[in-house]
Amino acid sequence: MKKIFSITAIVLFFSIQTGFAEPLGLPPVPIPADNPQSKAKIALGEKLFNDPRFSSTGDVSCATCHDAAKGFADGPLKTSEGIKGLTGTRNAPTILNAAFMKSQFWDGREPDLEGQSKGPFINPVEMGLENHDPILTLVRDDRAYWKMFRKVFGLKKKNALTMDHVAKAIASFERTIISGNSPFDHYYFTNNKAAMTPSAVRGFNVFLEQGRCVSCHTVSQTHALFTDSRFHNLNVNFNSISGGVQALAKRQQQEKADGVDLDVSILTDKAVAELGRFVVTGQWRDIGAFKTPTLRNVDLTAPYMHDGSIKTLEDVVDFYNNGGFVKAGDPVNSFQSGGIRPLGLNDTQKADLVAFLKMLTSPLN
Amino acid sequence: MSIINRRTLLKTGGTFVAGACLPLTNIRLAFADQSQDFTFAYISDSHIQHIKGTKFVRNWDQGLKRAVAEANLMSPKPDFVMYGGDLAQLGTREELDHGFEIMSALKHKTHYVMGEHDYYADLGEYWSSQVGKQYYSFDHKGVHIIVLNSILTDDHWTHERWANGTERMGVMAGLDDPRGSPFMVGAAQRKWLANDLKGVSKDTPIIVFSHSPLQKLFKNWNFWTDDAELVQAILQPFDSVTVFYGHVHQIQYNQIGNITFHSVMATAWPWPYPESYAQAENHMPHLTVPINRADPFFERDATGWQYVDINSGKATVKFSLTENEPRTVGYDAKRGYPLDTKYVSRSKPPQNHY
Amino acid sequence: MRNIIQTLFLVTALGLGSTLTAQADEFTKEDLDIWQKEFMAVVAVGRTAFTDPNLGTNGVVCAQCHPNGANTHPETYPKFQKQIGRVITLPEMINWCIRNPLEGKPMALDDPKMVAMQAYITHERRNVKLAPGKH
Ligand code: HEC
Ligand code: HEC
Ligand code: HEC
Ligand SMILES: [Fe+2]
Ligand SMILES: [Fe+2]
Repeated sequence: MKKIFSITAIVLFFSIQTGFAEPLGLPPVPIPADNPQSKAKIALGEKLFNDPRFSSTGDVSCATCHDAAKGFADGPLKTSEGIKGLTGTRNAPTILNAAFMKSQFWDGREPDLEGQSKGPFINPVEMGLENHDPILTLVRDDRAYWKMFRKVFGLKKKNALTMDHVAKAIASFERTIISGNSPFDHYYFTNNKAAMTPSAVRGFNVFLEQGRCVSCHTVSQTHALFTDSRFHNLNVNFNSISGGVQALAKRQQQEKADGVDLDVSILTDKAVAELGRFVVTGQWRDIGAFKTPTLRNVDLTAPYMHDGSIKTLEDVVDFYNNGGFVKAGDPVNSFQSGGIRPLGLNDTQKADLVAFLKMLTSPLN
Repeated sequence: MSIINRRTLLKTGGTFVAGACLPLTNIRLAFADQSQDFTFAYISDSHIQHIKGTKFVRNWDQGLKRAVAEANLMSPKPDFVMYGGDLAQLGTREELDHGFEIMSALKHKTHYVMGEHDYYADLGEYWSSQVGKQYYSFDHKGVHIIVLNSILTDDHWTHERWANGTERMGVMAGLDDPRGSPFMVGAAQRKWLANDLKGVSKDTPIIVFSHSPLQKLFKNWNFWTDDAELVQAILQPFDSVTVFYGHVHQIQYNQIGNITFHSVMATAWPWPYPESYAQAENHMPHLTVPINRADPFFERDATGWQYVDINSGKATVKFSLTENEPRTVGYDAKRGYPLDTKYVSRSKPPQNHY
Repeated sequence: MRNIIQTLFLVTALGLGSTLTAQADEFTKEDLDIWQKEFMAVVAVGRTAFTDPNLGTNGVVCAQCHPNGANTHPETYPKFQKQIGRVITLPEMINWCIRNPLEGKPMALDDPKMVAMQAYITHERRNVKLAPGKH
């Protein structure tokens, strides 16, 4: 019986994949063995993603901060606004192609989309619920939801419906929020030389060579995700904590050992948020290090960086060209990644690089 | 935080990996006599390189700055920091001064070992004027600590072959330069060493710091000390001897008789392992599990520094590697040699080679 | 019988241990010497470039990180290099190291110095099996 079920799941999966062909420039979406895609599950996930009833105030959904019209982010906000206009410490990354990331969040504290999707509901500055119970009550009692869950997961009894099912459905939906097919993809993967402007073509070359971007924002012969899913300290706002790193790190590791929820301390404590990957691993090499974001659709998702501190792509390019700061004279911290150094780009090269970044926008489906 | 007592420590063979593995979370061992345990940081091979005017190679500067910043975060505070040599690339005053300036940000007491890159421009004159003696010993919490200048070579090579110090330094700075000469500790220092150890009881733990390996590993790149067996013979009678050396810019560890050997990383750049040179034989310790190849894009890849726990004379060496998984190599009392517990299946027992 | 043994001997000697049988109309020893000398002269130029502080702009030289050309693995090219995101040839990787650790200007692929550096690198790696694409 179990066997038959998994076979139907695979069949469905393939029918979906043939339904929308993989966008140009992307590898196949990795699908975990224990959460196969199905059309009904994706539809359920989409409904959950857009439903504001899962917040304490009834007006915040995932889509509030990951808005399709804003490239699945929430520009022009620097840091996201959840219930009652409360703001967190971090800029909302796009959900587009999050399915390809080897870990989730700027610091990778969740290994996968399933794990990630449980967090926002109970974050005090996001959807503000005390715990997951109200969600379960709602999806069990709401007739439309219960019907969908029953069908998708083959559930018999209402109390068999758990947060894992909610998480799986949302994750399945997120695995369809993928985007390729940009002018760059046509230029590079179908050899359509007219797909990018001459300035962008030169900019791509800067991206690969003098700009040294490609080692972190990866491109390969067959696809381009523009992220290595690794963590790097670029010197974005690290100076705000560099005076007291030792005490701060000690306090954070102690809080973690005492069982304080990481999601909460990161999104409510500005200083802790700047520790980056360190909060997860406790290793100095990860201090102030953040996950390389994708650059696809980056033109749509200003402002930039984990704290939204850089307003424009021009400023981002200046930041890299200077070796890790926008304002001349800002210090570079000692923990900065060995991948960052002054680049010596001239004004034309900088403009070309920005022109290239604007070629990574996918058409709206 | 977990407390490991001495008995469990001995049972697990003396090696252990601390939970979150960093200086910050450095778990103190609850020893019978805690006062005899201590930690120190070991930074080496920064190769500060002068371009011109006030410009220095940024890559190497960043390596040393990072090591200093991390060592300053160590908790508990290390008893001291040992600098393993090759602070400069061409031994100039500019380079040494710039290196000492970066080192001056360290909050801990610092000792220095002489490297060939610090020495051959002026035969160590400027370095000595800033640091002091080139070889010396001191006692620390029951451990006898010895620093040697192991990068000397024969007088003829040193004094008669070269037009000037710059030329001599240039030749010695080329690791693979066939005009170079093998390193040695030399008769004078060996005599001093034998003398220094006269009053030391055989059960006193001994730690020796040198720049070159005090072993004969690979002559081509001077992973070599020509009178290694003579120096080893002086140290062999003692129950517990640990030698720390720089120069090789890679992880190596070995055991020869009573002597445990540990190399330290460079903060500047990593070197290939000798087996990657197809045209010459090497005698690398079979024990060593090498580090994986580096990605030169990430300038700190395969570079780093160490902090060392001395547990009643035996060293547990923890590598702080900025682009690699951290590693811990500790003395395995049951086997009688150092071991990286994580990769234990990949190492073979040691060979007996100088 | 003795004859056969002698021929076998000769074959091994000429083929330098390879399994090729002797060829008619051999190159003369004189030719071989000349060609080898020519090659080694270029290898020497390559070694000089490898230790030339003016190849880049920061005084750093290739040999600092690649003693005896080690870890340049010419036998693995062409191969995928993530620093460039493509399958590339050896000179492209040489240029990458010139641009990055040496902070220098890349060379034309047919620049005599570029050819010489390849000669030096491959010479130091002689007798190693080809392993295209290997990491
Ligand atoms: C209040 C705004 C807000 C809401 C509501 C919100 N998010 Fe987010 N989301 C963020 C922020 C900010 C981050 C980055 C947080 C961090 O890295 O610490 C983020 C990160 C993510 C990521 C990680 C992407 C990556 O590349 O690492 C995913 C996936 C995600 N959110 C999905 C969701 C889902 C699913 C929901 C609904 C259950 C949701 N978000 C609700 C603001 C929000
Ligand atoms: C060492 C790895 C590395 C290199 C090299 C690198 N990046 Fe990044 N990039 C990152 C990381 C990590 C972040 C996020 C940093 C943070 O928020 O602290 C980032 C963020 C960005 C962002 C902001 C994206 C967003 O959604 O907020 C842009 C744009 C960007 N990089 C473009 C570039 C360009 C252009 C280059 C080459 C000039 C480049 N990067 C080189 C790692 C890198
Ligand atoms: C700062 C140190 C450094 C310097 C200087 C340097 N390289 Fe490299 N290079 C590396 C490292 C590390 C690697 C990666 C080694 C590996 O793949 O095992 C590498 C890789 C290479 C490779 C590719 C090796 C492979 O396995 O694919 C070539 C070829 C190369 N370097 C040539 C050069 C040349 C020529 C120079 C001088 C112009 C040079 N390098 C200077 C560190 C350096
Ligand atoms: Fe060195
Ligand atoms: Fe050295």
